[in-house]
Amino acid sequence: MPSTITGAEIRTCLGDTTTTFKALAEGVSGVSPLRFHDTAKLNVTHGYQIDDGDEERPRRAAGWLAECVAAAAAQAGLDTAGRRVTAIVGTGLRELRSVERATADDVPVAPEELHFAAAVRAALPGVAEVITVANACSASGHALALAEDLLAADEADAVVVAGCDATAESMLTMIGRVADAPTTSVRPFDRDRTGVLLGEGAAAVVLERSGDGPTVLGVGLSCDAFHETAPDVRGIVAAMRDAHDRAGVTPDRIGLVLAHGTGTALNDPTEAAALTEVFGAARPLVTGVKGGIGHTSGAAALMSLVLAARAVREGLVPPVTGLVEPIDEAAGLRLVVGEAEPITGPTVVQVDAFGFGGVNAVCVLEVTP
Amino acid sequence: MSTAPDTLAITGWGVLTSTGFGADEFAAAVREGRSGLVDVEGAFDEQLPTSKACALVGFHARDHLGRKGTSFLDRSTSLALIGCELALNDTGLVVDDANRDRVGIVLGTTAGSLKATSDYSRETLVQDKPYLVNPMLFPNTVMNCAAGQSAIWHKLKGVNATVAGGQLAGLNALRYTRNLVRRGYVDGALVGAVEEFSPHTAWSAHHLHRQLGVQVPVGEGSAVFVAENPDVARAAGRTPDAEVLAVEIGYYAPTGQLPDAGEGLATTIARALERAGVAADEVWAVATGETGAQPLDEVEARGVAAVFGGAARRVRVKELTGECQAASGALQLAALLSHHRDDRALDGRVGVVTSVSADGAVGAAVVRGYSRA
Repeated sequence: MPSTITGAEIRTCLGDTTTTFKALAEGVSGVSPLRFHDTAKLNVTHGYQIDDGDEERPRRAAGWLAECVAAAAAQAGLDTAGRRVTAIVGTGLRELRSVERATADDVPVAPEELHFAAAVRAALPGVAEVITVANACSASGHALALAEDLLAADEADAVVVAGCDATAESMLTMIGRVADAPTTSVRPFDRDRTGVLLGEGAAAVVLERSGDGPTVLGVGLSCDAFHETAPDVRGIVAAMRDAHDRAGVTPDRIGLVLAHGTGTALNDPTEAAALTEVFGAARPLVTGVKGGIGHTSGAAALMSLVLAARAVREGLVPPVTGLVEPIDEAAGLRLVVGEAEPITGPTVVQVDAFGFGGVNAVCVLEVTP
Repeated sequence: MSTAPDTLAITGWGVLTSTGFGADEFAAAVREGRSGLVDVEGAFDEQLPTSKACALVGFHARDHLGRKGTSFLDRSTSLALIGCELALNDTGLVVDDANRDRVGIVLGTTAGSLKATSDYSRETLVQDKPYLVNPMLFPNTVMNCAAGQSAIWHKLKGVNATVAGGQLAGLNALRYTRNLVRRGYVDGALVGAVEEFSPHTAWSAHHLHRQLGVQVPVGEGSAVFVAENPDVARAAGRTPDAEVLAVEIGYYAPTGQLPDAGEGLATTIARALERAGVAADEVWAVATGETGAQPLDEVEARGVAAVFGGAARRVRVKELTGECQAASGALQLAALLSHHRDDRALDGRVGVVTSVSADGAVGAAVVRGYSRA
């Protein structure tokens, strides 16, 4: 049962939806030296961070989330009075950064501050229910699937689906542990890629049963049950096929794929193999945004979705920032390299998101310019 | 609209708390009102704020799961894994290659393993160069570690989700599972919640409780249910321990605004009963979440009283298990099912689980229980 995105806003290191899209279309990257962390200790020197002052503010993830929820709701003209509005927030780490700072500074953290009910309610008074889904890097994709269900079952009149994450020291440590040398940019699907860097920010969309805007046709979900951190091609293929079945589309109907594309040794060949297997002779354009905005963790699925919708509306698909020479596994894919590619007419788009723990979410949406 | 049923069949469950290990032991503790409060002095590697807690002293995953692959599991993940194992051992559902893609995991947590996370941050923040963090710790810093590891351990490839939400986590997870089944994403799932006890959580609870004047001891544990599409379970000849007829979530406004707190819960309970097709006077028991924080408990008491008067019996699991944060709702449901487990007189009777959270959320589940006798 399709549902419509009636409002959307993202916040990345490159700004809001409009400025982020413009920068990506021009191949601009938002990477910069890390701002609040001891880079020598971490073996990580760079990140795609939001410049919001020289002092690290408290609860940054919750702050960006509130901004995006308010903006998306305003765009949709969402009125909570007399309507049942639910919010679902997908996140990798919740307010983990607040826990870290509490640990370092010995300030207790209230358990309520670790999920996002209060932040959402402040931005959107009258919201009936706030659910936080902590599903790693595919969290906001899982949130979208749940939102569809609430609309289909008539348990809500509108659902605000959101995602957010802020840079956390433990995640930086993790990246630093698996990298030989510090990475200075994310280069998805490139032969010379050197790994992933963290992005941060938030994204929010308003989903309703009808209205003007992109249509969500279906979300496919799966779990690899294979390895904590390594992706599994079978699990990813299963999620893609589930998404196509739910959307009622065959691969040849899809004109654009927003890849998960993290620029890691493992993700890129695995995702490329899965796309090759699923799409076969159908060759949609394939791009990704993490070279420009980093890995935004729980917000990643929605970031890609909002930027994909913008691309179809603008008639322009941004290139994969940082991609020069694609890996062999991607030989069968029409990756957008170097320059933005034009795209015309209504387009069915696939958005990939895969998370640690083998949790996969693949969204299919239709966008009319 | 989907054609799948709107309800869940619970065909087995498992609990791990200081009050008992497995459904039968826990049910006996609930029937006898046996508290799991124990002496925790010297039981952990750091000083604790109190000498007693409902903690699993001397708990090691290897004692339950063997040595292989358990040495690097954090506490939350261990509790979740064992909860899943106990639930799978308690059900007639056999997971094999024919159905593992159709069985998922939905877990409620407060914050993954705070201890694993804070250990990790602390090592990051205070160790001298060249600093070395145990790389095996790092998947534990991811908030969905317990659900992901449980999937790998038990080879469940259906949808895997971690739902956060403090007191509401259990009901949120149950509702999420109901939706997954209804949309045909899975035929069933291990659904439950987990909360760990560590010096870190004990201190943060202690500070919080002192602010709120709470006297309830801190606890830990996991409760996991095998929740199935009732049609699938019935076709396979599995009889349910319980049917989850409805799960509803609502909210209340800050003091002085509408809806009033008690009314917010009363409305939510009423809506859940209506969906379940059950009248308030048919409800035999209400398993409340009473946290010991007076404002919250007052909301719950008023909401419950508004719907049931004094007619329904109260089941107060925290008197036995202590305050288990995110695991609260799941343990309340387990306590309700504990009364049914050996009592045929309660067969087919309906109970309600209620949760109230400080952030303005309230929830109610309507559950019909059956005995195994």
